[in-house]
Amino acid sequence: MLILMSMQTACNDFLDKEPESTISPENYLTTETDLKSYDDGLYTSILPSHSNWSYGTFGDDEHTDNQAYITYDNRFVPGQWKTAQTESTNWYFKYIYSCNYFLSNVLTKYEAGEISGTDANIRHYIGEMYFMRAYEYFKRYQMFGDFPIITEPLEDNSEELIEASKRYPRNEVARFILSDLDEAIDYMESNPDDNKTRINKESALLLKSRVALFEGTWLKYFKGTAFVPGDDNWPGIDKSYNADFTYEAGSIDEEINWFLAQAMDAAEQCAATFTLVSNTGLVQQSTSDAINPYMNMFGDDDLSDYSEVLLWRDYDINLSTHCVVVAAQYGDYGVGVTRGLVNGFLMANGLPIYASGSGYAGDDSISEIRSNRDSRLSCFLKEPGQHNILYSGTGEYYVDPEPYPDITSGSSEQKYTTGYALRKGGSFYQDQCGNGACYTGSITFRGAEAYLNYMEACYELNGYLDATAQSYWVALRSRSQVDTDYQKTIDNTDMSEEAQWDWGAYSAGELVDATLFNIRRERRCELMAEGLRYMDLRRWRAMDQMITTPYHIEGFKLWGPMLDWYDSSTLIYEGGSASGTANVSSPLLSEYMRPYEVLSSSLAYEGYTWTAAHYLYPIGIQHILITASDQSDLTTSPIYQNPGWSTEASQGAGTVTGF
Amino acid sequence: MRSNPMKNHKAMFALLFCTGFLTASPQQIYAEQMPAYVQSSQQLQTVKGLVKDASGQPIIGASVLVKGSTNGTITDIDGNFQLSVPSGAILQISYIGYITQEVKSILGKPLQIILKEDTKTLDEVVVVGFGTQKKVNLTGSVGTIDAKELDSRPVTNAAQALQGIVPGLQITQSSGSLEDTPSINVRGTATIGTGSTGSPLVLIDGSEGDLNSINPQDIESISILKDAAASSIYGSRAPFGVILVTTKSGKQGKVVVNYNSSFRISNPINMPDEMDSYTFATYFNAAAVNASWSSPVFSEEHLERISNYQNGTLTTSVPEGSNGYWADGYGYGNDNIDWFSAIYKKQTFSQEHNFSASGGAEKINFYASMNYLNNDGLMNFGEDGYNRYTTTGKINAELTNWAKFNYTTRFTRTDYKRPSTMTSSLYTDLGRQGWPTLPLYDPNGYLYSSPSPALGLAEGGVDKTQTDNLYQQASFTLEPIKNWITHVNFSYRTENMNRHWDSQMLYNHDVSGDPYVYTTSSNVYEGNEKDCYYNWNVFSEYSFNIKEKHNFKVMGGFQAENMDIRKSSAQSYGIIVESLPVIDLTSSTDYYGNTVTPTVSGSTSSWSTAGFFGRLNYDYLGRYLAEVNLRYDGTSRFRADQRWNLFPSLSLGWNISREAFFESLSEKVNALKLRFSYGELGNQNTDSYYPTYQSITYTANNGTWLQDGALTNTAEVPALISSTLTWEKVHTWNIGLDWGMFNNRLTGNFDIYTRKTLDMVGPAPELPATLGIDVPKTNNTDLKTSGWELLVSWRDKLTCGMNYGITLSLADAKTKITRYPNDTGTLDSYYSGQNYGEIWGYKTLGIAQTQDEMDTHLAEANQDALGSSWTPGDVMYADLNDDDVVDNGANTLSDHGDLKVIGNTTPRYQFGIDLTADWKGFDFRCFFQGVAKRDYWASSYYFWGVSSWGEWWSAGLKQHQDYWREDNTNAYYPRPIFGDDKNQQTQTRYLQDASYIRLKNLQVGYTLPATLTQKWGVSKLRLFVSGENLWTGTSMTKIYDPETISYDDNDAVNSKMAYPLSKTFSFGLSITL
Repeated sequence: MLILMSMQTACNDFLDKEPESTISPENYLTTETDLKSYDDGLYTSILPSHSNWSYGTFGDDEHTDNQAYITYDNRFVPGQWKTAQTESTNWYFKYIYSCNYFLSNVLTKYEAGEISGTDANIRHYIGEMYFMRAYEYFKRYQMFGDFPIITEPLEDNSEELIEASKRYPRNEVARFILSDLDEAIDYMESNPDDNKTRINKESALLLKSRVALFEGTWLKYFKGTAFVPGDDNWPGIDKSYNADFTYEAGSIDEEINWFLAQAMDAAEQCAATFTLVSNTGLVQQSTSDAINPYMNMFGDDDLSDYSEVLLWRDYDINLSTHCVVVAAQYGDYGVGVTRGLVNGFLMANGLPIYASGSGYAGDDSISEIRSNRDSRLSCFLKEPGQHNILYSGTGEYYVDPEPYPDITSGSSEQKYTTGYALRKGGSFYQDQCGNGACYTGSITFRGAEAYLNYMEACYELNGYLDATAQSYWVALRSRSQVDTDYQKTIDNTDMSEEAQWDWGAYSAGELVDATLFNIRRERRCELMAEGLRYMDLRRWRAMDQMITTPYHIEGFKLWGPMLDWYDSSTLIYEGGSASGTANVSSPLLSEYMRPYEVLSSSLAYEGYTWTAAHYLYPIGIQHILITASDQSDLTTSPIYQNPGWSTEASQGAGTVTGF
Repeated sequence: MRSNPMKNHKAMFALLFCTGFLTASPQQIYAEQMPAYVQSSQQLQTVKGLVKDASGQPIIGASVLVKGSTNGTITDIDGNFQLSVPSGAILQISYIGYITQEVKSILGKPLQIILKEDTKTLDEVVVVGFGTQKKVNLTGSVGTIDAKELDSRPVTNAAQALQGIVPGLQITQSSGSLEDTPSINVRGTATIGTGSTGSPLVLIDGSEGDLNSINPQDIESISILKDAAASSIYGSRAPFGVILVTTKSGKQGKVVVNYNSSFRISNPINMPDEMDSYTFATYFNAAAVNASWSSPVFSEEHLERISNYQNGTLTTSVPEGSNGYWADGYGYGNDNIDWFSAIYKKQTFSQEHNFSASGGAEKINFYASMNYLNNDGLMNFGEDGYNRYTTTGKINAELTNWAKFNYTTRFTRTDYKRPSTMTSSLYTDLGRQGWPTLPLYDPNGYLYSSPSPALGLAEGGVDKTQTDNLYQQASFTLEPIKNWITHVNFSYRTENMNRHWDSQMLYNHDVSGDPYVYTTSSNVYEGNEKDCYYNWNVFSEYSFNIKEKHNFKVMGGFQAENMDIRKSSAQSYGIIVESLPVIDLTSSTDYYGNTVTPTVSGSTSSWSTAGFFGRLNYDYLGRYLAEVNLRYDGTSRFRADQRWNLFPSLSLGWNISREAFFESLSEKVNALKLRFSYGELGNQNTDSYYPTYQSITYTANNGTWLQDGALTNTAEVPALISSTLTWEKVHTWNIGLDWGMFNNRLTGNFDIYTRKTLDMVGPAPELPATLGIDVPKTNNTDLKTSGWELLVSWRDKLTCGMNYGITLSLADAKTKITRYPNDTGTLDSYYSGQNYGEIWGYKTLGIAQTQDEMDTHLAEANQDALGSSWTPGDVMYADLNDDDVVDNGANTLSDHGDLKVIGNTTPRYQFGIDLTADWKGFDFRCFFQGVAKRDYWASSYYFWGVSSWGEWWSAGLKQHQDYWREDNTNAYYPRPIFGDDKNQQTQTRYLQDASYIRLKNLQVGYTLPATLTQKWGVSKLRLFVSGENLWTGTSMTKIYDPETISYDDNDAVNSKMAYPLSKTFSFGLSITL
């Protein structure tokens, strides 16, 4: 046995093996390069950009009053969006952990001077991580409102994790995000790479204004309902850990003002850093025509020189590609623009289309719609006969000239869901038209939003537009080739007309005033197809009216003169004479195409409706169950369900008091 | 008792083979053919004789044959025979269970022949860990296979031929792809953990090796060590059984030369059939309408083209699109293609050649062999193929009278190639991407991709893997003092793997027939891996006895092994000359002239183990047997304080047949032994070589958020590692019974066992999501597997001279999860007390035929939780808990709503039936294999056709045609709905019975009479025809092959469609000089 023991000792040397091809954490995050690589690993996971086989970020407004996908969305068919027993993509902490791991390791090392490299760079990479944690939190906060705040990488200890599952009131989550962004602003440089593909100070300022505006307007419009902390119906009120809840600013109204002021401050700082890209107001149609920088900004290969772009993602034909340009050659990959959005655009003279003297030519054809309009519509709305390609090359998936919209295609890639399609994100270069092989840049943050955030925050806070806000508005209208006299627009706005086209005409079921509405209209038109619409609709509480009154998503005026574009025997509708499977909605329902009302069996056949609970996501039941101390009683969990949602799986939303 | 042996035969037949297919026929042959044998042939003298056994009893039915001829007879009821023979002829007298004797006939003198019992079965030696043992003295559970069972099987590797032969050895062929090697498992589910594996250890001549890389014809025998007592000598490497392969050696005497070859023709089996294009289009349209889509997938105009193309009035497979190109194949194609028939060949050709020579002189002998296997694949476009070359050389030398030396070298090269685009996704995606309407060729006759698989297969480049395995083995056997033997073995294995692929630019053709670039990227990849493994064994044994009664054998030794792995790869872009895809001839630019940086990678890793072992065998007169094993093992996978572990085992045996009281029975029962064993083992086979080290995942050039136009290097947060990670423990109990009866014509064994896997590195427990990272794996799971195994074999010789045998192997195992971290009892994961493999689902009442029927049902069983818009053609589920609602409750064990266990996916009662016979030079083998009980839930789109993931994840096979619609109300499938799974819940109606029986092998051979072949200098010449996978009986849906469905994977998107298995016919010959 003694011999055995001694041999064992000898063997231990033989058996001591350490990893030869991996880095142990103790030796990592100690240099500037380490920090950069760790940041780089999170960019695509956290920030939005184009994904392949879709219209990219330009399709992110699908399922709103702006854009409509081929199929309806369950959030507008109450009862169909159901609680899930398990769900692992929304109540989700993976990237929060990744950020926390970095920050908790790096900050101590940085303070102890243990990270090698240029100080400015080290600081910048730390700032990027604060920014990413803020962005990730903003996503969760939009879904759930009240949300756990976790700032350290936690250990796999059940009690500790249950403790950490406590939902912080939403305003505190928003304040936490803002404080992270303040750190990011403090640590980061302005445009450090000279290329604007790295997160930077300007982006953090813009995001800060967005988050603050979100919480400020949310609290304002949901005040008095279960959706704000401290309310009697707020589900968090039952939790002992919320027993002492008070607003940090003193009261909800002061809290609202604080957030709005934060939004204004950040937006103004951001706005000072860039100039707007110019707009010719015309669609380039030949190589000899002047290029339109404003349009090209959304579909250029290199966006670093566009002053208004704050952060963008670079693509490369070999390294990383998407499908957006091909989508824009066809019908935007099934994401159509709605009649509602088209009607929301002003005439170039600043008048709404219904106003007397507007000069509106009607919507019997796309050419009529485009004439004398806000250039943002006339530039981006595709018209049959226009050239989609000006510079020939190798890509095979191009369409030139623009055909009559293929409204009955069975292919989601080619279908014009509403008949209207955008060229935003498109390119006139055929080289960009390989299927799944487009490589135009993707805008992450664009400065114009700072103008809009400031205008809105200013008006919501003060009830009037200050000089800065006025100058921003003029600048935006001027760039859009719209008469800069916005007061004329306000004076000619009829809210009952607007209410037909724009959910943003409402807050909490009531029509808003015409000035606020026109600020919202400016935002809707400027940020068309940029993925922010649903966020805005929720924070404005702009869908209550659909609880009682259904809204019909409509497209172009198919059953008018544009019918001549089609062989009418191929258009089949229920109740019509042609036999076969219906592929368009009936003219008896509307002259305009209604994509969700083709078949009477469709659950959205009677129009889109709403229920209050849908303003927030339901929490997966398993998350509540696993944190409950008594699993037969879910109220023993620190996690409470959002208003209107059940704590049983597979249940549609119920009603919420006060709605 | 000897007086009526046939009566005993009959009884045993009846007892054992209730199936009845053998009971009658031998008797008939006996009766009819006897006269033919009694008659004498053309000869001169008559010889008479009497055949008896050692106890003086006459032997009835013994065969008497003139050597080298077919002239013979059998003994009568008194043991007498007479035969006309040439003068001085040699007679061969044989009887089953006795040693064959040769006697020279002497004119006029009656012969008295006493046959000795053949104790071979008793003395048969079995290879066990670090040594051999007489079978009769075995106390552990060991299964054996000899070379005969591998003979003439048209298989690509030895493992395929082992399927169904040894009960408890489970061979799973999950794909027919040429490079696919079957997975091997001993005694059922070993582990459900995600951090460790439970494969058996494979040792070739004592050194770890790959069963798939050895020439099957070099194999002399295989032992399967099944219980802990048999395998514990291998310690931490062998918790889930050991497979010991012993290769052939030379024998002293004349040089024996053998050449054999076979030529094979294979056809794919169980190929799915697609709908015709029109049926397909209407099927998809129906699914779109049912989903209330705003337009059907195929417009009326499109349908008309599809129909016109089918009836011949339209001859172009796709219309012209814009820009002078053909229109998109999915959006506009009107072809009528069955993509499965298009992609796979109807038949393919293979061949195998094997040459061996062996022999030896007094002090030295040798064995050498070469083997070449060439296997063509089934790809119709591009080419897939597999070649294997093996050479073996083995020398045994007696250096002195106390020292022997053995040297073995074995080289195996495998070459596998396939089209670069033929990856596993080809099989899983073919159903959903191969729409029958998608054009294969454009109207000009060029392959057309939009995208579709054929063009890439045909022109997208090749992927070639070459693997070289070189085994070197040297061993000394020293016996300085009689019975004290010391073995010193050293073996070295080097595996070199080189993989090359090139991915070529693809060209489509436009309407005028001019090519244009369709896929612009082209690149070359070269990857190398070198694995170096060495293994030292030193062990010494001493055997002695006390008073010839107490027999002892002690053995002790040391083993160490080490593996080093080194990998590197490079990929460069821009192939300059298509036919020269090498890295040196790449431009590192893309199609547009931009520079693309080549990607490179490389890593090294290693592991090692060391162990001390000892064994003591004791027996008393061969009657009472005992064996004790100890192994003290260390591994590099754990840190020093957790590294070492002691594994003991004990086994006992009782040879009942050697007891005095048993003597009266010994005439019928030649051997009867009861065995018992218990052992503890540990498992160190963690997936990671360094499971206790945290590491940052750092990847060069993979970040796609480009910076300065280039990919970025990324780092990821390190996974959590449990601080308490340690060994898994495996405890096994085994009770066995071995028997041999009726002169060992009926042999068999039966084992019953329980194996507990304790502290398994199980899946991580569920923790609140706030953790934000995968929960680390720890030793938190226990499993209990219990099962039994039966092997029964009958062999006999009929009086007509026909030898026949039947072997039945049958095994069953089931596994229960006895500990699992699932506090909420959610059914989404395992739970304590679960029978492994169980399937939870709803009970189906049927498909509603009318709205009334559905509404009546819904009134009592609200199905809102599963979906909405219930109409005729939808499934009605049963409300089992009478709450008027159909749902899964909280989906937990305590609240599972209307779910119940509807089946179990564990394969039960796995069997093999092996029938063999030979007569007058003809030999015959028929081998069935199967699973008698198994349920299977098919959740993928291959089964359902239209799936809940929409049109890009749906298929249209012939089976799906039987879907519910107004004019087909009595359908198997419910109405298809894109994007809706309400009818596709796990449920009783669509649960598949995956049991099957398959005729794995059928072969007929003929050995030409030696008298004839000897004139040519050939001692043996055999011709044969062999067929593999000839017939399958199953009630499972024809969409799947019951063999290639995976055992426990229930991932819904994974389609479980594999490269098809083949039916193979092989024609061959074997010549021995």
